[in-house]
Amino acid sequence: MELVIENLKKNFEKKEVLKGIDFRFEKGKIYGLLGRNGAGKTTLFNCLNQDLELDGGTFYIHDEKDRALEANDIGYVLSIPNVPEFLTGREFLKFFLEINKRHIEIPKAIDEYFDFMNIEADDRDKLLKDYSHGMKNKMQMLVNIIANPNILLLDEPLTSFDVVVAEEMKQMLKSIKDDHIIIFSTHIMELALDLCDEIVLLNKGVLEKVEKTNLDGQDFKDKIIDTLREA
Amino acid sequence: MSDTFIISFRLRNTYKVNSIIYSIKGLPIINKILPNRLYKSGALKTFANVISILWEILSTFLGKFLYIMLMLFFASLLYDMNGRTDTFLHIFTCLTLVGAIMNTYMFNPSKDKYYAIVLMNMDARAYAISNYLYSMAKVLVGFLPFSILFGLLADIPLWTCLLMPIFVVTVKMSVILFAIKKYERTGIATNENLPEKAQWVLIALLLVLAYGLPLTHVIITLPIFCILFVACLLFGCYSLVQIITFKNYKKFYKKLLTPDNVYMVKNATSTDMVKKNMAKTIEYNSDYTSNKEGFAYFHELFVKRHRKLLTKAAEKQAFFLIAALALLLILCRFLPEVKDGINSMILNFLPYFVFIMYSLNRGTTITQAMFMNCDHAMLTYRIYRTPDVLLGIFKERLKTMIFINLIPSCILGIGLALLLYVTGGTENPVNYLVLILSIGALSVFFSVHYLVLYYLLQPYTVSTELKNGTYKAAQILTYVVCYIMIFLKLPTIPFGIAAILFCLAYCAISLLLVYRYAPKTFKIRL
Repeated sequence: MELVIENLKKNFEKKEVLKGIDFRFEKGKIYGLLGRNGAGKTTLFNCLNQDLELDGGTFYIHDEKDRALEANDIGYVLSIPNVPEFLTGREFLKFFLEINKRHIEIPKAIDEYFDFMNIEADDRDKLLKDYSHGMKNKMQMLVNIIANPNILLLDEPLTSFDVVVAEEMKQMLKSIKDDHIIIFSTHIMELALDLCDEIVLLNKGVLEKVEKTNLDGQDFKDKIIDTLREA
Repeated sequence: MSDTFIISFRLRNTYKVNSIIYSIKGLPIINKILPNRLYKSGALKTFANVISILWEILSTFLGKFLYIMLMLFFASLLYDMNGRTDTFLHIFTCLTLVGAIMNTYMFNPSKDKYYAIVLMNMDARAYAISNYLYSMAKVLVGFLPFSILFGLLADIPLWTCLLMPIFVVTVKMSVILFAIKKYERTGIATNENLPEKAQWVLIALLLVLAYGLPLTHVIITLPIFCILFVACLLFGCYSLVQIITFKNYKKFYKKLLTPDNVYMVKNATSTDMVKKNMAKTIEYNSDYTSNKEGFAYFHELFVKRHRKLLTKAAEKQAFFLIAALALLLILCRFLPEVKDGINSMILNFLPYFVFIMYSLNRGTTITQAMFMNCDHAMLTYRIYRTPDVLLGIFKERLKTMIFINLIPSCILGIGLALLLYVTGGTENPVNYLVLILSIGALSVFFSVHYLVLYYLLQPYTVSTELKNGTYKAAQILTYVVCYIMIFLKLPTIPFGIAAILFCLAYCAISLLLVYRYAPKTFKIRL
């Protein structure tokens, strides 16, 4: 399975943010999306999540045959966690499991999901309003992977985690990557190099893959920085 | 100090100008044409500057004009037993004290102070003193023409009219002294937007003295006013010296100008303070659970955790209406002469109740809570925006909105029918039915109206700002139409039937529109 983007364009007034993106993302890989501030990473995600209308181009899933993306194809974890504050963690999860019933092949008990995310037993029945930033982020990540979407968009997801949780999340993403296309935007190059199978730069409104061939760690970093600096 | 004043004045003007441009950009249609570079546009800046300066001049005079005309001059005409000169002076003296407590300028945690002192780190003392003197000068200049005009009309001697603005300023300064002394003693920074209980009591007392005392012929006459004037003048001058020599403005304003204070009361529509305040409305109790499933479960929990905002507010309205009804029934029992008036009002002024229904309906607050505490988060999940889930939740919400608003409306409808019966009834019994049904239909109409507007225009942005000109225009239009109804006098049966038919048609059409378009329109504005 592939996510194919063809000539995707997005403008804000006269400013062209995405100038015709062509890319194929493959299943089983974690893509690290790097770009400078304001390069349009979140805009790209918002377009793929159909939060924004496109100004040109298209994107679709290429499997046995080509098809348009459906709501359950995509999970989008935002950098600022958004959870309904009037529910408890358990209630939120229960609601999500129920509305996703059709898409979950082997449903598990709610506590198994909490265990999977290492959410403490004491916290499971607290209002989400009283969760810390990092905990909200965990919940957001959890409900996004529950329905097993084909594509996971992660916008700076690890920045609010402490080192231990960030490591847990990294391992978790690695453990589920075989069944998904994971696109991971970050400002932290070390994280991208450590976690991702491919590095993709969003630069001057287009996406380009950085080839790693024959480069050691430092040279690869220099190459990325040089490319971004030219912007 | 003059430098600080000029800089602060320009700063305030810049943000006013930008706010004006921002509002222009918020207008429907026009916002499509105007680019973001607008804030740089010279011509538009000049235009906004002119508006800003006109506003500064207008704000100096307009408020005082209305205040003196309505609250002093016209009010004093109502008490002809004491002679309007003395009544005018009496009310003026009492209300000046109220104004001095409620409107200090110095202790208003306004945004311009926050920007200048906290964010830009300007010299707090120079800022406070220069701007305070400027605001007092505005009070003086703003009051003078109207104290002369209306004072002379009330037969007050010219020299007294000239003293009146000075009296206002000296009383205001005296209040500042109390607050400064209190700060020095306790470290508490007075916030004029959050008066303490004692202040509320004092304000209420002064209002009673202002408008109640003249009824008993005990009033502040010209000689007493003169004594008060001299006392306040001396005290005010002493206060002014203290205001100028007070050293701790920086510390004082650090305490007063917290984001909570600055954003809570004024202009809280466009910040996450609204969201924070909304989050406070969530009530958690482990008994508030639900046995339902899916979106019915989700919605039921929302309703149960927002009882105060939803059901309890409607219950309060219902209680108030029952009390009003009881009062009217008692009135009819003991003062039979009011019966005819009430009877004819019910049979001819049903349009007026459109406005009352508009005022009772809490659709805007409820949809705002829905967004802030629920949809703001949930709309980021793609699955929540699928037609099944979205319309499922819409249906649940519609039921709740209609139910909540029907609680007070039923009482109003039945109450009107009951009043009609008690006040002599009507030849045509259809009137009773039309009254109850039309009030019910109006209630359903408003419930549908606000929810449909919300689903079709979803006006909030990701940062919880309300940013949709069409939505605002629709709200204003709703208000204007309902307001115009106040002036309509139509027989109940034809108007009631027309209203019922209109409500039915509106609901049918708008629900069709929601089912058709909401899956596309109901999303967060980025």
